[in-house]
Amino acid sequence: MRRLIFAAFALACLAAPRAMAEDTLNPPHWQSEGIFGTYDKAALQRGFLVYQTVCAACHSANALHYRDLDGIGFSTEQIAALAAGVKLPTGPATLDDTFKNPYPDPQAAAAAFSGAVPPDLSTIAAARPKGTLYIFDLLTSYAAAPADLSLLPGHYYNTAFPGQQIAMPPPLKDGQVTYADGVNASATQEASDVAAFLTWAATPNLDSAKEIGLRAVLFLVFLAFIAIATKRKIWRETV
Amino acid sequence: MSSLSKPWLHIRLPVLESFRSYLNAPVLPREKKYLASLPVLIAGALSFQLLSGLVLSLFYNPADAFNSIQFIDRSVNYGWLIHAFHETGATMMFGAVYLGLLRSLWLRNYKAPGELVWFLSLAKFLLLLLIGYLGYVLADGAVSFWSLANAIAGAFSLSGVPGGIGVWFFGGPDGAGTLPRLAVFHAVLAVAILGILLLHQAARRGMEPTVARGVGLHPYYTSQIFVAFVVYALIFAVLVFFAPHFGENPLNRGPANPLVLPVTVTAPWYLLPLSNAGHVFAGVWGSLFAVVARIALLAALPWLDRSAPGNPPGFLHKFLVFVLALDVILICIWAVQAPSFIGGILLAFFTAYFFFHFLVLLPLTTLLEAR
Repeated sequence: MRRLIFAAFALACLAAPRAMAEDTLNPPHWQSEGIFGTYDKAALQRGFLVYQTVCAACHSANALHYRDLDGIGFSTEQIAALAAGVKLPTGPATLDDTFKNPYPDPQAAAAAFSGAVPPDLSTIAAARPKGTLYIFDLLTSYAAAPADLSLLPGHYYNTAFPGQQIAMPPPLKDGQVTYADGVNASATQEASDVAAFLTWAATPNLDSAKEIGLRAVLFLVFLAFIAIATKRKIWRETV
Repeated sequence: MSSLSKPWLHIRLPVLESFRSYLNAPVLPREKKYLASLPVLIAGALSFQLLSGLVLSLFYNPADAFNSIQFIDRSVNYGWLIHAFHETGATMMFGAVYLGLLRSLWLRNYKAPGELVWFLSLAKFLLLLLIGYLGYVLADGAVSFWSLANAIAGAFSLSGVPGGIGVWFFGGPDGAGTLPRLAVFHAVLAVAILGILLLHQAARRGMEPTVARGVGLHPYYTSQIFVAFVVYALIFAVLVFFAPHFGENPLNRGPANPLVLPVTVTAPWYLLPLSNAGHVFAGVWGSLFAVVARIALLAALPWLDRSAPGNPPGFLHKFLVFVLALDVILICIWAVQAPSFIGGILLAFFTAYFFFHFLVLLPLTTLLEAR
């Protein structure tokens, strides 16, 4: 019930932008932003699909377990089926396994990408300034290199990457995945969804923090009034 | 018979009786400000840090530090909340400590006979800085890993007594044994600082003028401290739930990589006023000098200030303290920027002003106002 009230409150705060069919791509923004923003589970599930199909081929996410996916709204049966489809060296993955590491060791990963190890994605959204937007920008800012720039071997030109030369080939293209909810899988939409998923992966407790935080702040505001009133009453009695 | 009318526990534990008279004796002046409760808030914040740190230490594994923190954040029930409490608790405690230092500069209560209180609050500040730094490196993130590696390399390059202290403290070159060792120091020093807090409180109480028709600590000042506490808790709640990583370098939330140096190696905000030295003074001796010199300036305040004891602070003095606070904030802001030419010049300027304030402006203005 309390969750419902909070959800209703959160929805009311979001009602204005949600009333019309919302374009989250221009300019790029995410439902989890702002003081009352909560994760959009549909976007998280779409983002997980992109992650699993595209990112997970090269990147690890060692801090995440398959069981953690109940946080983005999957049922235990769905997660078990999903994990069973992942082949680890020891057999099919279970709920308590961490996300599959695509390479046996960092050396193998470095050898595949001109010496650059694909970073672990567990905390990447938290470990970059404005992480969610950074991931979106990185994935959508590949371009042809200027004529006067000779790229390092095995590198690509990306205006959002520090130094502009990145060893990761452009990972996303239109229609690379098929979304179950019928959303058009443009490369931009995929980038937005996977940025949302990686934000959740880095801070899975954001919704709980805001829910508890709102109650704590309201309680302490009332307590502050009571404390001030008590203090004034006590001091009024001094002679 | 009269002793039997006392409560059961008070007969068997007479110290309770003196505690009660300490609480109720109507000897305190009536016009103490809300900010006078800062030391009590700091003591409360430290206890809170000890409790949350105790919970974290049950799960923290210094041999696999970064991953064990991920485990706390993701798999321990409410581990993320305890972790956020500890992290933001440090921010809030340092906020109170810096505000207290600023208040001392403003009110000039470091002047005789308040020197001992001032020295004890400086000792508290220094020890807290050390504990805060240790907590920062225990996170073992991409930034703090390099900060620790630099600190250890620096300590080992020193000769003489400072080098000896460094080798003894870190135990050896940066390696598998370093973080377990520092985790012990982090916890033991945090408990040890309670002793300094008690001494500080006793010295403060000794300095307080007793007045004939004053008020008691309880209920008058306890109710005032409670108001201050609730406001403190409110700011804490806003930070912990809506900005849990306030004042930290986001790069530090990624895992350490011994082959990749982050663009900016910057400490949490509360270490910046002292840790930016590397930008201004070159070399290990330079950084050490900058830290020691700034602490020495603060410790020499009772003598740098030439005003007569009991002289109320004048307008010029207050204005200069305000400018000094602004100067320290600017130092922090520029210390976290990526290195640049302009940034280097500004940092050098703000740091020079810090020394100028204490060595030139303060003695001059206090002499002027004393006349």
